[in-house]
Amino acid sequence: MPEPQTPERHARRVAIVGAGVVSPLGPGWVETAEALRSGRDCISEITAFSVEDCRCKTAGQVPDEWLNGESGPRARRLHRVSRMMIAALREALAQAPDFKPELTVVGTTSGGMSFGEEYYRALQRGGSLRHSPSLIANYTPQKAVMDAQDALGISAPCQVIANACASGTNAIGHAFHCVRSGKYRRVLTGGYDAISELVFVGFDSLRASTPEKCRPFDRSRSGMVLGEGAAVLALENLTDAEARGANILGEIVGYGISTDNHHLTQPDPSGSGARRAMEAALTSAKISADEIDYINAHGTATPFNDAAEGKAIAELFLRTPISSTKAMMGHSLGAAGAIEAVISLIALREEFLPPNINFRESDAELDLNIVANQSRPEKIRTILSNSFGFGGTNASIILRAFET
Amino acid sequence: MNARIGGMGWVTPLGCGISEVWQKLLAGEKATLQSITGPQPEQSFAIFRVPAEATKSAPAHPRLRRSSAISRFAAVAGLDALADAGIQLDAASAKRTAIIFAISNGGVIYTKRFYHDIVASGAQAASPLLFPETVFNAPASHLAAILGITGASYTLVGDGAVGLLAMKMAEDLLLDPALDRCLVVAAEEADGLLCDAYLRWRLPITLSEGAGAVLLDRTGSISIDAIDAGGNFSHQSRAAHCIRTIFLRLEASSDDLFITSANGSFIDRAEAASISAFAPRAHTYPIKSALGESVGASALWQVICAVQALKTRRLPGTQEFRARRAVVLACGLNQQAAGLALAR
Repeated sequence: MPEPQTPERHARRVAIVGAGVVSPLGPGWVETAEALRSGRDCISEITAFSVEDCRCKTAGQVPDEWLNGESGPRARRLHRVSRMMIAALREALAQAPDFKPELTVVGTTSGGMSFGEEYYRALQRGGSLRHSPSLIANYTPQKAVMDAQDALGISAPCQVIANACASGTNAIGHAFHCVRSGKYRRVLTGGYDAISELVFVGFDSLRASTPEKCRPFDRSRSGMVLGEGAAVLALENLTDAEARGANILGEIVGYGISTDNHHLTQPDPSGSGARRAMEAALTSAKISADEIDYINAHGTATPFNDAAEGKAIAELFLRTPISSTKAMMGHSLGAAGAIEAVISLIALREEFLPPNINFRESDAELDLNIVANQSRPEKIRTILSNSFGFGGTNASIILRAFET
Repeated sequence: MNARIGGMGWVTPLGCGISEVWQKLLAGEKATLQSITGPQPEQSFAIFRVPAEATKSAPAHPRLRRSSAISRFAAVAGLDALADAGIQLDAASAKRTAIIFAISNGGVIYTKRFYHDIVASGAQAASPLLFPETVFNAPASHLAAILGITGASYTLVGDGAVGLLAMKMAEDLLLDPALDRCLVVAAEEADGLLCDAYLRWRLPITLSEGAGAVLLDRTGSISIDAIDAGGNFSHQSRAAHCIRTIFLRLEASSDDLFITSANGSFIDRAEAASISAFAPRAHTYPIKSALGESVGASALWQVICAVQALKTRRLPGTQEFRARRAVVLACGLNQQAAGLALAR
């Protein structure tokens, strides 16, 4: 690896030079921005497997017709999560065609799990196992990013973070750390996950998912709905990005991580874990809480998460506008942080606050300034994006509009 | 300053503890094969299992009450690595300690049980107690809770190379002066379902289980000369090319000794061809011949073996060597490869 040669001033600044996204909101930046601006509800009935015995029957799903860009014998073996990742990476590289990463850091929770399910069902039911070698080889969580790199001619080593629902934000945060340290010049980052029966039923068994509408931060919130998708950011040190005339979409300026040892699946009700991650991100960015113009909350709409996160936000910020975009697209787990980073970037560049849809009534326990139901035009400079997950893992990143 | 190895812990089918396992390896011992049932009727496989007594020192922590074997292996190895470094974490030092967990198949036993109930009896039979333990970062979460770590905790997933990718991440994290040390832990459990899967994938390996832990800091006696995070080979036939690129970047030569990842699969040929091209006279040791293929844990086992070889100047099957550097090569079954060089 080349020794760092970047001047200190710019070694501290990390530019975003490419962004790609596929989610239930749309197959790309333009469609995603339009869905966000109009507050579109993209949750639908599950079609991939039977949910007859589940309480929750809906999710945010990416239509297969958005993922038909690949062809040929190898393409037929790709899991749909690989197709999502290919589409997101293709969009990001279209903005930065000469971007050659030294390292790739992505997040996921279960990758192509449904291929593993298919293999197991065939074993149990005495079905055909003719395709099992392909199912086994392609279900592993790291495969989607490797397939995407392969499809687009990239061969960077891949670090695949599986920190549950914080994975995507952790991946972006670590990629940011790598570039800001001066040790790496270009790092590809992001996250991906596809809905699988095992994970869907898992959240249903915990009664974390809701049979009703997903209503983050609402007084009558009753749980999350799952989602899926992929998002990619191309990060580069600012000196190099400017030198080659890159189109700089924004900057990552801060990252915080904390571990909350309260419980494997529930946050500390005091919100201390969430608060420490946000405080660490502010310290990393060398800014104060009042410089944050908008917070893209983790906001799963589970009673526990929103109470802990809302409490931490209310303590740390003075009624900064916040919303959870998960009500529109569902919670895409390992992809969520990456998709929400791209949503934050869209908000910065297209100058609006994304809405928290399905919001009816404030929770008296949470003193929050919710961007309720409709997007709001607003020129914003700095955004905090949160992701918190099972295992007590908490991550926050701060994005900023690019200013020379 | 290069990161250094400050302490290590080892849970293997040959027993638990660096000294115990190393002495057995030097004596030429190999783990004993045990029979395990497969997922289909009358199906059985031979694997290497961790003996029950090897995890007797696992702490009596509430988090380990219902946890997977992986979490218990990891807790024992992680605590041993800290003890080996003479570190007892308190609230202040825990804040300056990060965990990186490397894993491949994860909690396959609980995952299988959880999904089996769904397949056999429907979603209503799914256990909310099992599901959280199927999540890849559950073992890291348990270990963080046991150690009181409240800062950075990462779980990395990948194939047999994931341990070295975790070491690379630890080295990068230590660029942050707010951290004093990074505990890298890798663990895996073996199950008949995995045996069936690898067999159908036409990978004739002998599965193993256990954990390895390596504490990276800035003061240990063995330094990390270089870690090459390697790359991905799109097809098995490209593995040798990927390995050669790693050797080139690590400046590997016959003056080094090599701890290889040969496991009875296509990897053996790719490694052998590359070593004969770069280091034809080097001492090599395929540790998986004695301990089996522990997938996510395997690369850290190789690192521990390399450190022990440099410290004791001995290598199983080799009388003596003069190498001052040891190269660990981790070529995985699912297209990832990475390398690491340690210096005395």
